[in-house]
Amino acid sequence: MNKIPQTEGLQFFGKVSASISHELKNILSIISETAGFLNDLTELAKQGKELKLSLIENCSQSIVEEIQRGFATIKQMNRFAHSVDSPMKDVDLVEILELMIGLTGFLSYASRVRIEIQSKDIKPVFTSPFLFGHLIYQILCFFYESAGHDGNVSVVLSTPDDTSVRLTFKSSAPLPRDKFPNEKMERLAQVLGLEFEQSPSDTGISLGIPYISDTTRKLLQGF
Amino acid sequence: MSGNEKIRLLLVDDEVKFLQIMASRLRLKSFQITLAANGQEAIDAAAKKSFDVAVIDLQMPGIDGIQLFKILKENHKDLGVIVLTGNATMGTAIECMKLGAFTFLEKSCDIEVLITAIKDACKLPLEKKSETEGKEKQPQEKSLEQKPPSSLGKIKKWVKWAKTKKSE
Repeated sequence: MNKIPQTEGLQFFGKVSASISHELKNILSIISETAGFLNDLTELAKQGKELKLSLIENCSQSIVEEIQRGFATIKQMNRFAHSVDSPMKDVDLVEILELMIGLTGFLSYASRVRIEIQSKDIKPVFTSPFLFGHLIYQILCFFYESAGHDGNVSVVLSTPDDTSVRLTFKSSAPLPRDKFPNEKMERLAQVLGLEFEQSPSDTGISLGIPYISDTTRKLLQGF
Repeated sequence: MSGNEKIRLLLVDDEVKFLQIMASRLRLKSFQITLAANGQEAIDAAAKKSFDVAVIDLQMPGIDGIQLFKILKENHKDLGVIVLTGNATMGTAIECMKLGAFTFLEKSCDIEVLITAIKDACKLPLEKKSETEGKEKQPQEKSLEQKPPSSLGKIKKWVKWAKTKKSE
């Protein structure tokens, strides 16, 4: 099977859109309730109750923070929406990882994730930004489920040689090996011309990404 | 004295900032508030202390709102449960109402709507008690209009909510 069913891509797009809208709704709810709280305090002050300045300061700080969070979310939404603009292009791995970590961070079961860059010379890879992002998203979700909400997940970027870059995912908990990679991940990896590498430990998995893959170039022609 | 100070409220939401600001607003109205940032914290809190009403979010890590709802209702039958969620769909609303939610509200509803719902949910166990006593004395079928206010109120609220969703 060398194609991803269209519905899978749409499901992924829908899931991400839903999680973004949920995040935005949370942000707006906090702003709305904080404004309501300020209003409550004003009403009490009108009745002669003492108005604590520290409360007003906290509210205004909270509103500013939530607006910043909203801007960051919208920026991520925008970057994700533009990932379908080009079927294939040079993709900055750190950027796409940060985006997918940010987008999966909206999921209620997301664990803490950190990116570790072991090599200074990480060049962009020529791939499909949407499908590659989809694969990273699926892997992160799988790792969150195994690590649990209080667990940790790390993503390590390294360059074993001049021709490829290695992306290693590590979890603070053992992985259910029999379930990884699942069918969806295998299909995505196959279409992208990537291969999973078993890590010696039972808490990690690696993805070897060739800088220029013949398979992906061929795919570009038939996309 | 508004009577609110007697109402013991359990607020459950994984969005901690939302939880804190809601608690601040409801404390101004004199409610007794306990906060839980996830399902497990809510179960632990309910095991230690009795609550009149729980206001719960649906989408939470670990034990989600529906699971929490079932656990709370199983162990605390008289607890009034209000679902307050940002993820309001007709399906989840129906599921919650079937499970016995007092009402289903969408974030960010007017605080007065929430306060009224909390107060009404507190009256429910008393109404059920008097309803049971009434049935024992006079076992006869009731028309919809004659049904206890709790059931009729729930239907009216549900219809109102459905109309709001339709107009959206």
